[in-house]
Amino acid sequence: MKSKSINLAALAIHVARRLGVIALTIFGLLLLTFLIGRVMPIDPVLSVVGPDADRSTYDQVYKQMGLDRPLYVQFGIYVNDLLHGNLGKALLTGHPITEDIKRVFPATMELATVAILLGILVGVPLGVFAATRHGRLGDHVVRVLSLFGYSTPIFWFGLMGLLIFYAKLGWVGGAGRMDIAFDGLMKSKTGFVLIDAIAAGEWEIFFSALRHIVLPACILGLHSTAYISRMTRSFMLAQLSQEYILTARVKGLSERRVIWGHAFKNILVQLLTIIALIYGNLLEGAVLIETVFAWPGFGSYLTGGLLLGDMNAVMGCVLVIGLIFVALNLLADALYQVFDPRTKS
Amino acid sequence: MKRRFSIGALALIVAFAVLPVTGLFAATPADQLIIGMSMNNLLSLDPASATGLDVAMVNANLYDMLLELDPTSPSTMLPAVAESWKVAPDGQTITFVIRKGIKFQSGNPLTADDVAWSLRRVLKLNMSLASAWKVYGFSKDTADESFKAVDPYTFVVKMPKPTDPKLILFNLGSSPSAFILDSKKVLENQKNNDMGNAWLTTNAAGSGPFKLDDWRAKDALIMSRFDGYWRAPSKLRRVILRHMTESQSMRLMIEKGDIDVAYGMTVADINALKDNKDISVEAIKKGTLYYVAVSMRDPKYSNIKVRQAIRLLIDYEGINKTIMPNYGFFHQRPIQAGLPATLPDQGYKLDVAAAKKLLAEAGYPNGFKTVINVLSDLPYINIATSLQATLAQGGIQAEVISGTGNQVYGYMRERKFEIIVGRGGGGSIPHPDSNLRSMVYNPDNSDAAKLDNLQGWRTSFYNEEINTLIDKALLEKDEKAQLAMYRRVQELYEQEAAPIFTVSQMIDTSVLRGDIENFATSPSSTTRFREVFKKR
Repeated sequence: MKSKSINLAALAIHVARRLGVIALTIFGLLLLTFLIGRVMPIDPVLSVVGPDADRSTYDQVYKQMGLDRPLYVQFGIYVNDLLHGNLGKALLTGHPITEDIKRVFPATMELATVAILLGILVGVPLGVFAATRHGRLGDHVVRVLSLFGYSTPIFWFGLMGLLIFYAKLGWVGGAGRMDIAFDGLMKSKTGFVLIDAIAAGEWEIFFSALRHIVLPACILGLHSTAYISRMTRSFMLAQLSQEYILTARVKGLSERRVIWGHAFKNILVQLLTIIALIYGNLLEGAVLIETVFAWPGFGSYLTGGLLLGDMNAVMGCVLVIGLIFVALNLLADALYQVFDPRTKS
Repeated sequence: MKRRFSIGALALIVAFAVLPVTGLFAATPADQLIIGMSMNNLLSLDPASATGLDVAMVNANLYDMLLELDPTSPSTMLPAVAESWKVAPDGQTITFVIRKGIKFQSGNPLTADDVAWSLRRVLKLNMSLASAWKVYGFSKDTADESFKAVDPYTFVVKMPKPTDPKLILFNLGSSPSAFILDSKKVLENQKNNDMGNAWLTTNAAGSGPFKLDDWRAKDALIMSRFDGYWRAPSKLRRVILRHMTESQSMRLMIEKGDIDVAYGMTVADINALKDNKDISVEAIKKGTLYYVAVSMRDPKYSNIKVRQAIRLLIDYEGINKTIMPNYGFFHQRPIQAGLPATLPDQGYKLDVAAAKKLLAEAGYPNGFKTVINVLSDLPYINIATSLQATLAQGGIQAEVISGTGNQVYGYMRERKFEIIVGRGGGGSIPHPDSNLRSMVYNPDNSDAAKLDNLQGWRTSFYNEEINTLIDKALLEKDEKAQLAMYRRVQELYEQEAAPIFTVSQMIDTSVLRGDIENFATSPSSTTRFREVFKKR
């Protein structure tokens, strides 16, 4: 009983510490972003009033935006609003930032999730394949393809993909999340067009959305595949040179069991870390792919906010990105305990 | 392992084989117009505060104006909500007869009260588009007197100070601030006495041929036909603006027929489409000017000989031949081409030898260092690169610093620059005053005046005679005398080697599918789609 309450207290302290670190991290992120926004030479007032507004209009809007107040007051007001769930209004849209993020984030998450799944499903087996054929033709082919996939500008891939698969072959849809004629015809409930279309029974819209997502997701997935396959190969090579692998082979285990049952299991924790980081990067928004494919995602929203000097939108996005990485780290930590019993202690 | 790969590969092949069959045909529907364009500058739909050319196009289809400028002949005014108007003999009052039977999309009738309220609102809110009226002496204090509804179908504009009534008429027919709002609907949605400013950022309350269905910023804007429109309803059921910034993507989509109109394509992509029989390219002249501006606040450029030298170190022909196709055409005057008042181009050319001589006379025989601030977009960055090269021939070492419009024009407004490559100079109205007031006029050159909306002030150019002539010409009723004054302004401007050197005049290029009929881009950006249809 006593040990149980000690464990609970320890857990409570651990959770409180973790939450404290997270809160401090988020606060630091927001403060830094706020300060950078005030220092960088982009005038949000000019974004609103235009370059030809006269001084009286400029001064009026400057005051309306609260920019005449001291910096610490501006930041204090922002944090206070944030604690009440209010991220402010975006200059770009005139909408509350929470509404905007609810609209743009699912677009990016849909793309990023398909891309990371492709990356895992293709990249991991490729990496294992390359490691098991170390120094042979198969290994070289995978390495060259990975290098090509990772170092070729993703912008170029996007344009080439559109040219070949959309313009020439007609296999996929063009820019946007669905055929333009369907735009506005289905109410978005979750923001995930594929899920909303299935839920609404709108199969034409579903297949249209599928055709539109497949190319950008494949290109992003290719980029992720290249990185995941290289890292998987490195991790596997390190494992396959270990003595326990030799022991396993000597014991007469099948090669498949040696590779997947032993070596691969031991790289899962490292692989998880890599995949979590890649997924986090994808969720930040792939601005170049979003530009080429006119994908109304998080990356474009954040970049647009930056270029306008809309620091409320930028800080809202920074907050979301911070929380994403925190969540992914927590998820990774939880999964470590599943894949590596040694971490349970 | 091998079997898994085979199954996986087979699945991918089947998926790609099935996908094309499950897709729709690429052509857009016959009753929908799909426009691909950048919506980066579409920040608000409120006619009192919306800046940028894109929103003028959107609002021109959601709202009506008292009159319209003929897109094929911009100085021709056509009746719209006003079926007729009369200018008083003193030229300071204009009386409009409002057409009966027009209804807003809400069902409310459109009356003179709505017209008056809409214009007063622009001044009372004092947002960006109030400048279009303040320049003629209108203000929030005079708004109620200046815009009056005498009865439900008679609206009167009274100028607070003497001005040319033609300019007011042009403003009412082209300024994005002149759209007529459904005052009842807007006031129902106002918050904290903001006259509906917050609500109108993302909503509309007009009488135009289309109503706003949805606007997702930097994604899509969807308008659908208003069947109760007072003219015949549009043949188009929907107009969809799709946010696209990548020119090559737009090119592929318009070739495939997935969009009908593309704005903002690069010259290379437009040229690639010129031989495509299914596509046409439309180029419209606008009154805005591309320029190289120097700051006379900088001691180097306060010297007239240095300015004359800079004027000769611009490769006007080279820039217009290689950089400006589809962006602009050769023009060197501070007033837009095509107006009776505009003098022929001076014929300045790149003349390095003459420029070096002038620099030596000015005390810079070995040149000097300078900074060019420029927008990072095309064609500005290319003009700046060309300028950097030709300045170098004259011994001037220029560093090019690119940035957003916000940054570059910000420096100009603060008078903290040396050279800027930009675009502006008014020109939204086909009248010399529109260009000169914006680009040349500067009644008070002191820092305290903060006339940062005037490019003359920004460049610290002050000439009392020019200022007086611009003011006098505006009120001159004798056309010949007025023309003579505007021509004298241009001569003085040239003699002074005024600090803004016009390099080119803007062309707005749109790319259209061949089956689009009656699409006429307006020089004032109020492009209307009500007559557009697809020949199918």
